[in-house]
Amino acid sequence: MRTWWAILAVIRYRPGLYLLNIAGMIVYSLGVQVPGLALREFFDLLSGAAVVRVGLLGILTMLCVGGIGRGLSLYMARRSLMPFHFSAAALLQKNMLAHILSLPGADALPSSPGEAISRFRSDVPGLHGICIDYANVVRAVLSSAVALTIMAGINWPITLFALLPMVAVYTVAHFAQRRIEGYRRASREAEGSVTGFLGEVFDAVQSIKVASAERRVVAHFGSLNQARGRAALRDGMFESFLQSVVDNTSHLATGFVLIMAGRAIRHESFTVGDLALFTYYLGFVTDLPRHVGKTIARYRQTGVSVRRMTELMPGAPAEALVEHGPIYEKGDAPRVPLVPKGSADRLLEFRAEGLTYHYPGSDRGIEDIDLRMPAGSFTVITGRVGCGKTTLVKVLLGLLPKEAGEQCWNGELIRDPARFLVPPRCAFTAQIPSLFSESLCDNILMGLPESELDLDGAIRCAVMERDLVELEAGLDTIIGPKGVKLSGGQQQRAAAARMFVRDPELLVFDDLSSALDVETEQMLWQRLFARRRSTCLVVSHRRPALRRADHILILRDGRVAAQGKLDELLDTSEEMRRLWRAEK
Amino acid sequence: MTLRCRIPLGRYWALLARYLRPRLGWVGALAVLLFCAVGLQLVSPQIMRRFIDGAGDTSVPLEELLVIALVFVGVALARQILDLSSTYAGRRLAWQATNELREDLTLHCLCLDMSFHNEHTPGQMIERIDGDVAGLASFLSRFVLLAIGNLTMLTGTLIVFTVEDWRLGVIMAVYAALTLLALSRQQQVALPYWLSARAAAADLFGFLAERLSGTVDIRALGAVPHVMRRLYHFTGQRLAREQKASLVNMRFGLILMGSYAIGQVLVVAAGYYLFGEAGVTLGTVAMLVYYLDLLHRPLTQLTQQMEEFEQAGASLGRVTELLQERSVIRTADPTSLPGGSLTLQLSGVCFAYGEDPVLEDLSFDVQAGRVLGLLGRTGSGKTTITRLLSRLYDPQQGFVRLGGVELTRLEPEALRSRISVVSQNAQLLSGTVRDSLTLFDPTHPDSTIMDVIRDVGMGAWFDGLPAGLDTRLEGDGGGLSAGQAQLLTLARAFLADPGLVILDEASSRLDPATEARIEHAVDRLLRGRTGIVIAHRLTTVQRVDDILILEDGRVEEWGSRAALASDPSSRFAGLLKTGLEGVLK
Repeated sequence: MRTWWAILAVIRYRPGLYLLNIAGMIVYSLGVQVPGLALREFFDLLSGAAVVRVGLLGILTMLCVGGIGRGLSLYMARRSLMPFHFSAAALLQKNMLAHILSLPGADALPSSPGEAISRFRSDVPGLHGICIDYANVVRAVLSSAVALTIMAGINWPITLFALLPMVAVYTVAHFAQRRIEGYRRASREAEGSVTGFLGEVFDAVQSIKVASAERRVVAHFGSLNQARGRAALRDGMFESFLQSVVDNTSHLATGFVLIMAGRAIRHESFTVGDLALFTYYLGFVTDLPRHVGKTIARYRQTGVSVRRMTELMPGAPAEALVEHGPIYEKGDAPRVPLVPKGSADRLLEFRAEGLTYHYPGSDRGIEDIDLRMPAGSFTVITGRVGCGKTTLVKVLLGLLPKEAGEQCWNGELIRDPARFLVPPRCAFTAQIPSLFSESLCDNILMGLPESELDLDGAIRCAVMERDLVELEAGLDTIIGPKGVKLSGGQQQRAAAARMFVRDPELLVFDDLSSALDVETEQMLWQRLFARRRSTCLVVSHRRPALRRADHILILRDGRVAAQGKLDELLDTSEEMRRLWRAEK
Repeated sequence: MTLRCRIPLGRYWALLARYLRPRLGWVGALAVLLFCAVGLQLVSPQIMRRFIDGAGDTSVPLEELLVIALVFVGVALARQILDLSSTYAGRRLAWQATNELREDLTLHCLCLDMSFHNEHTPGQMIERIDGDVAGLASFLSRFVLLAIGNLTMLTGTLIVFTVEDWRLGVIMAVYAALTLLALSRQQQVALPYWLSARAAAADLFGFLAERLSGTVDIRALGAVPHVMRRLYHFTGQRLAREQKASLVNMRFGLILMGSYAIGQVLVVAAGYYLFGEAGVTLGTVAMLVYYLDLLHRPLTQLTQQMEEFEQAGASLGRVTELLQERSVIRTADPTSLPGGSLTLQLSGVCFAYGEDPVLEDLSFDVQAGRVLGLLGRTGSGKTTITRLLSRLYDPQQGFVRLGGVELTRLEPEALRSRISVVSQNAQLLSGTVRDSLTLFDPTHPDSTIMDVIRDVGMGAWFDGLPAGLDTRLEGDGGGLSAGQAQLLTLARAFLADPGLVILDEASSRLDPATEARIEHAVDRLLRGRTGIVIAHRLTTVQRVDDILILEDGRVEEWGSRAALASDPSSRFAGLLKTGLEGVLK
């Protein structure tokens, strides 16, 4: 996507606010010019260089009117500024998150979440910020045009001469800006590695503490910081350079006016009042190259930011980043309705054929796997560490993009598994479930209306009822980031309850009992089988699960090594015997 | 909106002293640059006066006017150079100082108790360490110098006014004082709005960071609409608070504009009077008009600085809040641990995270070199015991002794260097394989690290890595299965030479075949060391010497494994039976 196209799209999102801002700024820049005219009248009045046009009282009135006009227009501009900025920011963040959440869940981010956050945080303001930079350019063009017209009307040779330093500055800026892009990217990347590392560190804080590695981790953080400091200094200095050069250009230009003015005043083609007006107006005229220079520089930086943001949205049309849509800034987002289970949602048979996936740049993955589950059946996937059990489940559910194969629901091809295999048809509990720092209840419901669900039943089925009594605030307990306030087993069972409450036809769980003690596990299996209304696909090597299974799939190196019922497999498969023997 | 108490000035000074002292050279250079710039600015209107008076006086040759004009250009160029140099020096100083602060904060937070970390998401921590510190950058680097420079400029211009006419000096002094007063009143109002806008940003990014790590669950449970709805809540809240803060803040601009218009009226009127009545030159009147700009510039800048000060105050408030968090883990009368394997003794230990007790009057011991198997329902307090042993928490009553030394007499770092904990949650940092395993400890030779990787059964995986130990692993052990990540964290324990080994469900994500394969490696890790093996699976405790069954934070059964197994009335024997008979009928 072209950068300018993205900028236009952002401006068009809230055009009213944007126009209001520009209008305010234009009125402001015109109001600022009135005092210049007043000063000219004042000095001409004192020196007697010209006929009195307005007199002292008129001059003072002009000064006051200028002040009031500026105040009003500033109010107008400011009033629309923040709503413009933050609704644009919200739109970009919404589009990015929405796309990330439309990608295969296990393959949604190109890097760590902490790194992705730096794109949500630092690249977003670049894009809506430059829209306002353009508004500033419009304003500066207008005000410098007015100022230049007035100045040229007074004395055009001096006006032209005064413009020389600006031309020089503009040329320098033009050549220097080629480097901006590289500097900006380097500095953003360095920032990403700093925030990414911080995020991981606080994710793994317990491991770091028990390993006494605090100081060493911070030392490593220090080296990332240093690299970022260097990159950011280079990146920021250019903008400051431009800013300070242009800020000082008006003084330089005033000096140039003085060089010409001595002779002109003597020849009476220029007055002290004109000099006062020139000095005052040169400030506005130099505003233009400043804003233009800044905006050109920002444009390149914005290009980097737009690319970084679209990198989070692979496969999306380029326009998706700036696609217009509601952001519900008044808190008026509609509640999420409960999708009722229709008759087509009832599972008669689930079938997968030829599922194949490899992790990018490796030969690890799964190869040509078939699976058939009739309604109400219990299927177990088992095998050694790294054999592809979790990968199979994720590919099956569309959480990883398959390379080949197809899934069918009641014989119908599922076109988009990730979108189709969700409640009320299917639900999944991951090996290490993600819980969020909200209340336990919010974690289980995830926005579903409590009144229409069997929350108690789900909690019972997940063997959580005893834990609720022990938790300080029961279901309302805020469970901390990633649910850390819960024990490992409680986290798994909370995730199971989250799945049960959705009453799906097909339950998929990856190693549900890995953090459960024998008795809790026993209870969980019993209650699950007592339910008997769902079809289950389970990754496990636990004996109770294997024994109960209608069908067992043993994976080895990403392929099906053997399959069947337990008794047959114990007879025919060496791998099954090893797994079974070890598990007692 | 909660109004936080204002931050005492001493805190600002302490911050400056702490982070600027090591960089006094740069601070000095910056001071020189800034003051030269102030001097040059004060000189410019004087040059202008000479020029205007010279232009009106025909006895002054044109060449002299040209020289004056060239001096003016020279001063402008010099200011340019000074400006650039001071910007560079200021930014450099800012990055150095803030990075040091970031590192200090990170270390401080890492040393805080787990109860702190359980309340804060990593996303929030990023915002609080990186975002809030960024808000202090310009305050740390040049705030004070700029303020002094601005005050100097203000005083300088007032002196010039007084020299021309003392009455004008008084009027302008009153004018400047009133402007500053109005501005500083405004400042009092604005701070809480800034704080609340910053907090809204932190909430938003905290929310985003958590959801970005949970994409699998969000997709698989069809919770995307719900997550989007929550996002709208956070972005909407941020918009509203930023809008409020910005409108309150705009009053600064309005006051400044009004005051500038009033100043112009004052100077023009005074100039008119002085020119007519007191006979000052035209150049002098022009000079006074230019000095009004010089008077107003520091007023504007001082206000911007106040704004900056507010934002810095908001950031500093949050940073200070973080720094005031204290670990409740205290070490009195520190001593050190004896070498070799360590005896462990718990006596009358009571512990609760909140109000509900997790451990109640718990007493048991493990002799040096023996291995205890700890069994119990989830939530029975097993993991809590390991947290007490590594001093992530201290017991509220009773004591824990290791090697005969009470834990409260051991610095956490010294203690943790002698114990190894392998927990069920494998936490790996992105970085090279070497860094992930050693956690940046450079003292382990590569050969040792590779041996350990093979010991835990990851040899085949390691041989497939493109760059060996230098291969980068992405965060969360990306590309590794959960079981493989667990094996790597187990490898970490092998690298240390601990006196106490705690395996907390260390093999829960391993399949039985793999677990059996690394069994002898684990045996070797435990050999000659005191060990605690926490398990919910009975296979895992086959190799232990003693068994302790925990129920609701109390000892339900404790004795040697052999004895308990052979006593049919014991709970352990019962468990063995259920385990063997299976759960299902």
